[in-house]
Amino acid sequence: MAEAAHIEFNPLATGSRRRQLTSKTIIYLCLTGFALMYLLPVVIIFLNTLRPLDAIVREGFIAWPESVTFSHWAEAWGSFCIGGTCEGVSRFYQNSLMMAVPATILSTAIGLVNGYILSKWRFKGANFIFGVVTLGVFLPAQMTLLPWAFVLGNLGLSNTISGLVLIHTIQGLSFTTLFCRNYFINIPDDLIKAARIDGAGFWRIFRRIILPLSPPILIVTVIWQFTGIWNEFLFGTVFTSGANQPITSAIVAFSGSGTGERHYNVEAAAVLMSAIPPLIIYLVGGKYFVRGLTQGAVK
Amino acid sequence: MRWLTDHTPQLVLIPTIAVTIAYVILFSVWTLWMSVSNSTLLPDTTYAGFGEYVRLWTSRRWTVAYQNLFLFGSLYVIGSLVVGTLLAILIDQRVKFESVWRTIFLYPLAISFIVTGTVWRWIFHPQTGVELALHDLGWISARFDWITDRDFALYVVVFTGIWHASGFAMALILAGLRSVDGDLVKAAQIDGASMPRTYRRVILPTIWPIFLAVAVVLLQFAIKTYDLVVALTQGGPGVATTVPAIVVYDLMFQRGQIAQGAAAAVMILVALALVLIPYALYTGWRARQQGDHHG
Amino acid sequence: MEKYRTTIRISAIAALALGTSTAALNAQPRTNMLHQWAQGSEAAAIATLGEMFEAAGGVWEQTAISGHTSNTLAKLRSDVVSGNAPAAVQLKGPEIAEWDETGRTANLDDLAAAEGWDAVVAPELISVMKPNGHWVAAPMNIHRVNWLYSSKAILDELGLAVPTTWAEFNAACETVIAAGKTCIAHGAADWSDATTFDSVVYGMDIDLYRAAFQEADTEAMRSQGMIDAFAQLRRMVGYMDDGINGRSWEQSMTMTMEGEAAFFLMGDWTVASANLAGYVEGVDYLCNQTPVDWGGTGYILNADSVVFFQQSDPEYVEGQQLLAQIIMSPEFQVTFNVAKGSIPSRTDVDLSVGGFTQCQQDSLRDLKASVAEGTLVRSMAHNMTVLQKYRGAMMEVITEFVADDSVTPEEAAERLAEAVEAQM
Repeated sequence: MAEAAHIEFNPLATGSRRRQLTSKTIIYLCLTGFALMYLLPVVIIFLNTLRPLDAIVREGFIAWPESVTFSHWAEAWGSFCIGGTCEGVSRFYQNSLMMAVPATILSTAIGLVNGYILSKWRFKGANFIFGVVTLGVFLPAQMTLLPWAFVLGNLGLSNTISGLVLIHTIQGLSFTTLFCRNYFINIPDDLIKAARIDGAGFWRIFRRIILPLSPPILIVTVIWQFTGIWNEFLFGTVFTSGANQPITSAIVAFSGSGTGERHYNVEAAAVLMSAIPPLIIYLVGGKYFVRGLTQGAVK
Repeated sequence: MRWLTDHTPQLVLIPTIAVTIAYVILFSVWTLWMSVSNSTLLPDTTYAGFGEYVRLWTSRRWTVAYQNLFLFGSLYVIGSLVVGTLLAILIDQRVKFESVWRTIFLYPLAISFIVTGTVWRWIFHPQTGVELALHDLGWISARFDWITDRDFALYVVVFTGIWHASGFAMALILAGLRSVDGDLVKAAQIDGASMPRTYRRVILPTIWPIFLAVAVVLLQFAIKTYDLVVALTQGGPGVATTVPAIVVYDLMFQRGQIAQGAAAAVMILVALALVLIPYALYTGWRARQQGDHHG
Repeated sequence: MEKYRTTIRISAIAALALGTSTAALNAQPRTNMLHQWAQGSEAAAIATLGEMFEAAGGVWEQTAISGHTSNTLAKLRSDVVSGNAPAAVQLKGPEIAEWDETGRTANLDDLAAAEGWDAVVAPELISVMKPNGHWVAAPMNIHRVNWLYSSKAILDELGLAVPTTWAEFNAACETVIAAGKTCIAHGAADWSDATTFDSVVYGMDIDLYRAAFQEADTEAMRSQGMIDAFAQLRRMVGYMDDGINGRSWEQSMTMTMEGEAAFFLMGDWTVASANLAGYVEGVDYLCNQTPVDWGGTGYILNADSVVFFQQSDPEYVEGQQLLAQIIMSPEFQVTFNVAKGSIPSRTDVDLSVGGFTQCQQDSLRDLKASVAEGTLVRSMAHNMTVLQKYRGAMMEVITEFVADDSVTPEEAAERLAEAVEAQM
């Protein structure tokens, strides 16, 4: 409804044709300027994956490649030495998927139910619980490292992907509950009331009313969770090692100033490869992300 | 059975409440306890008083980091909101290829802070980035060395943070713009308001709860900021761009001063409380106001 | 309740696994070494350790944590907290004593006695490896921190000799600057700024170095000698170019090797990287000790070592013995140190064979000379002297002094003392 009303409003319909044209030009110029700045880093990484190492060392990172080779991509994928093992980034991909996919699904599913309860089945203390959950969003990871180490050790989950799934699920709950609760709170209570009068119970209402209305917020939380978990490195670095590491932890090496010689081109390729899954999620899901938000994910 | 159905919500919530409370409250209390304990290399539960807080606050690095948190946090949040609003308004002008623009502005959010920081360091650093490129082009006197200038380096971190987050702000604000009641806007236009004026006076004020929501999410990033700074400036030059999370990590792990690191973590939570308590009070007040309207 | 049951079940499985493994006929020594040499030549050097371990019949695993040292130490701490202390960890200096005090380190006395370590390990290292009179660590090497690398091209072009005192050094720099070149190649970071300052304080006043950097004596930090040392450091910052911030040490090294900067002050890992990059000693660069004003042989020592934590699994216990034995073997010490630019921690290895470079041989010669002269010290910058909390506090002041021109030497000396006092 809001969108329909919106279409009738054309901000540029004010003023003369000539002025409209100037405004249009200014708008596209601004957009292009911003777009160039936003694309610049990725373009630079990509170009550096194609350049030979000595050229990078000599001319810096910002230069047009004189000669182009794709061999660094193959090397980064299959034979580059990371953490003492020369098998490229390929072996870490699976770990990251095994971690990010279950943790995303679990935290989203639980967050969905939590949000439903906290918004539609409010009870005494619900606000307090919501407050505590929200606080969880803000806890710095550095602070929670040792307690988590203790928990994982006692559960026998040290150095396992399951341990990371557990951490990311619990930490993710704060975000997902926050998102879902704020979304569901906009669903009219009358809908729920009517269903209850018809005799529908807790789960029935969830299945029949809440779930069908959830896709927009589901997309938002899934995108948020997946990219967040995929890109997290501290827990992965500290709680897993060697072949069990997720990819982001494995490539952290490239950010520091290590003491060995650097292969910037191969590293750039590895970095770009590690960013592909979240990028795909955004390229494919970005449209739904905004649409989900448009439908009231944040209010 | 009847009791069971009546209490389904609470029952369903219990497991997640239990873990969340354990996670948030126990971990916070544990940190609080560590901060007044005798812990050094490993956690130790003997009480030792508040000496570590005193020691923490005599450290110049910490005071700089704490100031940076407020300066960086506010500039980053405000900057992201301003840029995000600008982008949202531009896209809202019924531009062609809307989804392309949106995707371009949104994608940085998919890139990890580590990668973001590393690439922008390449670009900003005089020896590898823009300055070198300008020199290579023949402009020898060109200087672009903010990242190595202790007075400007923090703004480089702010800029990079904004680059990363403004797309997120844009997406939410755009969503907000689209949800504004068309009648309101028409009314303003009929009154002869110009476009900038319509936005400023009519549209933006109606969606300001969204600004708050975005600000809270960004604030969370600001407080946790660690990897971005590590990859971009490593806290330097000197200690100019150090942020609290770096100090916490160094104290707890590099230097084996778990108690002092925990004290620093508690101070982060205090900073957070300084911002969040007013926000919570405000939302509570607003909820009551709305309740009055409806009732 | 449920949690306890899980714990019991897990321990039962662990006991079962343990039982079967001890019962198995071909029990193998195993190890998992935690270290931070994840990249480049260092990773290659550690890989040779793994190969030797496997060749001796062991099962080798490693956990290489890259990036910041905090990451390695965070990993170690969380492993210990979670009850999975690693079998072997790369740790150094006072940290060995600190971890030893937790009572979780493994005792290597029997092996040390059988192999005669007390007789062959450099005396300066023994106290570090035996913090309470017991061997708990195996030293892998000796690094020299006070190396001055000079660009041969610049020295020849300007007719300069390698400076041996700080006054000569400053004079040389004035000449280099006047010729329009950078005098000191440097990449600013807390550890590299402190590395330079190590050499400055040591070279100007060895007693001051001992008091301030080895004993953490804050009166020494406030002394006129320290103020003078900071003044010298300020001067040297002026001899550096504008790009020191965010530059890596390899990039600075390249500047000197390529003849863009006259001097580079850095430890001997430079030798490994420079040679690997194809630069030649005596042709592209010269290596000499950093200037000393007291006219003797100076040696600032740094050493990498491996600490062993108590294990319950007999396979890992056996693995620790085997690993320590290999680390201390002359074969490993040669291979590892040739690759790393350092020299063996055993004094009975002949460096004239096996591929050691002239700089490395000079390092051993100077080590022996400085032991004889009583001038040998351990490096503060490289975490060989005071506790991390003091070292960290000092490095903050030093790196801030390098970054901020407005801090006077007097203020810096006062801040140095205050920063350390605050942590006492």
